[in-house]
Amino acid sequence: MKDSFFRSMTWLHTWVGLLVCWLLYLIFFAGTLSFFRDEITLWNQPAIHNVQAQAQRIEAQKQQIITGFDYLANHGANSPSWRITLPEPRIPYLVYGYAKPKEPGQRRSQFKNTQLNPNTMQELEPFIDTKGGNFFYRLHFDLHYMDAITARWVICFASFFMLIAIISGVVIHKRIFKDMFSFRRNKGSRTWLDAHNLSSVLALPFHLMITYTGMITLIFMLFPYPAQTAYDNGMRGFFNDVTPRNTMTDKAKGESSMVPIQSILDQVYTKWPHADITRVQVNQPNMAASTITVLVSAGKTLRDQAPRLIFSGATGQMVAKTDDELTNSKALYESLNSMHTGRLATWLLRWLYVLGGIAGCVMIGSGCIMWAKRIRERTKNNAKPSFGLKLVEGLNLATIMGLPLATCAFFTANRLLNPTTAERADKEILAFFFTWLAVAVIALFKRDTLQWRVMAAINTVACLSVPVINALTTNGNIVSYLMHKQWALFTFDALFLLFSILFFIQTEKLRTAKNTSKIISPSQSNNLKRQKS
Amino acid sequence: MIDLLGFSLCLFGFNSFALAKFNHFKDVFKKRPTELQSKSLLFTAWISILLSLVLCVATQSGYGALLFCGFMSLSVLIIMVFYNFLVSYVKWFSVLNSVLVVLSGLFLALN
Repeated sequence: MKDSFFRSMTWLHTWVGLLVCWLLYLIFFAGTLSFFRDEITLWNQPAIHNVQAQAQRIEAQKQQIITGFDYLANHGANSPSWRITLPEPRIPYLVYGYAKPKEPGQRRSQFKNTQLNPNTMQELEPFIDTKGGNFFYRLHFDLHYMDAITARWVICFASFFMLIAIISGVVIHKRIFKDMFSFRRNKGSRTWLDAHNLSSVLALPFHLMITYTGMITLIFMLFPYPAQTAYDNGMRGFFNDVTPRNTMTDKAKGESSMVPIQSILDQVYTKWPHADITRVQVNQPNMAASTITVLVSAGKTLRDQAPRLIFSGATGQMVAKTDDELTNSKALYESLNSMHTGRLATWLLRWLYVLGGIAGCVMIGSGCIMWAKRIRERTKNNAKPSFGLKLVEGLNLATIMGLPLATCAFFTANRLLNPTTAERADKEILAFFFTWLAVAVIALFKRDTLQWRVMAAINTVACLSVPVINALTTNGNIVSYLMHKQWALFTFDALFLLFSILFFIQTEKLRTAKNTSKIISPSQSNNLKRQKS
Repeated sequence: MIDLLGFSLCLFGFNSFALAKFNHFKDVFKKRPTELQSKSLLFTAWISILLSLVLCVATQSGYGALLFCGFMSLSVLIIMVFYNFLVSYVKWFSVLNSVLVVLSGLFLALN
């Protein structure tokens, strides 16, 4: 019975993992990059490369908001909403924005943003049209070209499979503690199994947490029935209930002058003396129903929704706020969400999240390769490989080697496309998907060691080209970033150089590697004899 | 410094776990561990890891728990690298790790 259960779990682990492993690899790859969402956006926008982080950032916020209100009152008096986005440690610039009137057929208003250097209060050079880190962030749960809701169902389905694969993996890994630190080199499939086990075990709490909380972030889409039962107008009613909103003056009609912003800020600082304000939003400015929402950073607390106070813009009275003490269910939901997004993370935890993400990529990648290698080893010398094996090998090459190359293409396109190109951001994304498609087409026809070696060599050059092209097309380079302590930009370029070296090592390893599929060890030979008998 | 102490305790714990295993101990010291040595190392490992967890959670609550999970991953990775690729340096690494625990602990105690 025990043996049967073990075999069932092994079967479940193999097939549940294999069915969605390439999609999971994409989710983990893009999700891991999303932990550096702001840093990627910073690199993609050369206009903000030289903006220094403010030494007295929080102390300067009050004056920045007051100046912003004056600016928006002069420039966007007739706008339906204003937004002041204050500099944060990872986003060093200040934004004053007002919404343009909606065009017919438009769902959301477009914003006219003015970006400023907070140290000089001078307007920055025009921003180039790029999605930056947001592309990878959205990609990991919206899959870009798919309808968002369909994509999220697919992602949830894959996450559920991942969760089953992790749990069944723990069950079948009998020597989980015995082999915890073991990695046997140059042992063919054994090495791949060790890499798979090690990358799974070393970040097991992270893998479980990120997979489970990933599904929790979409729980209201997966399981809307309690809210639909409890509220007359379903999910909308539920969200209205849990999100602080103005119900006191929202029906007020007519125009009204705005209260001075200082009186609002005084109330904010009375409630939170050390508030780190991240954003101020004004809806319907200069109207009797206007609201001013002040959002502050939640810091290191496990809370995803930023604490906020909402004031009437006409009277200055506080009309709504987030709860100071969360109910148990809300606290659980908020903490699970914040654990997944990692927005609370300072640099140390952020890097640890990235380590977990990389371990996830290695775990999934090694799992895919291991399956193909085992089937390839079992295939008799002259037998033709099955369609399934060819498909898996092709998808392995396309995903594992294609995604890094596509990422390099995305960043290279960011630097090489003309800033005035129409729909520039979409073209960067097109560069990503075209490159990935090109690798997939190659993998469709050939996926031998030679193709892996060629792809590794191309990735070596591609990774190297990102910092080089950056140095040639902007005023900075890796050395100047180091000299001026621009750590985010320096790390970005340094990581590409590091990956270039790693791909070079892979190229060399593949060049010198023996064709193990043609060499059968004595133990394998014995196994084959046993199978025959 | 709290983070450094938390991490070095975690690393110390996993290093003790690795040394408590017969094959790793033999790789490092070229002899088998006695039953008592093995049990003492296991005991030290659990105490050290629990101390690290308590320290992280007590000082930074939920955020500390996340940090602790990250520290465990990083520790296992470092230990794996040393015990599989740099076995000859494990003794030095163990000494450095112990010094790190003592120094960061002392720094926190004195401030």
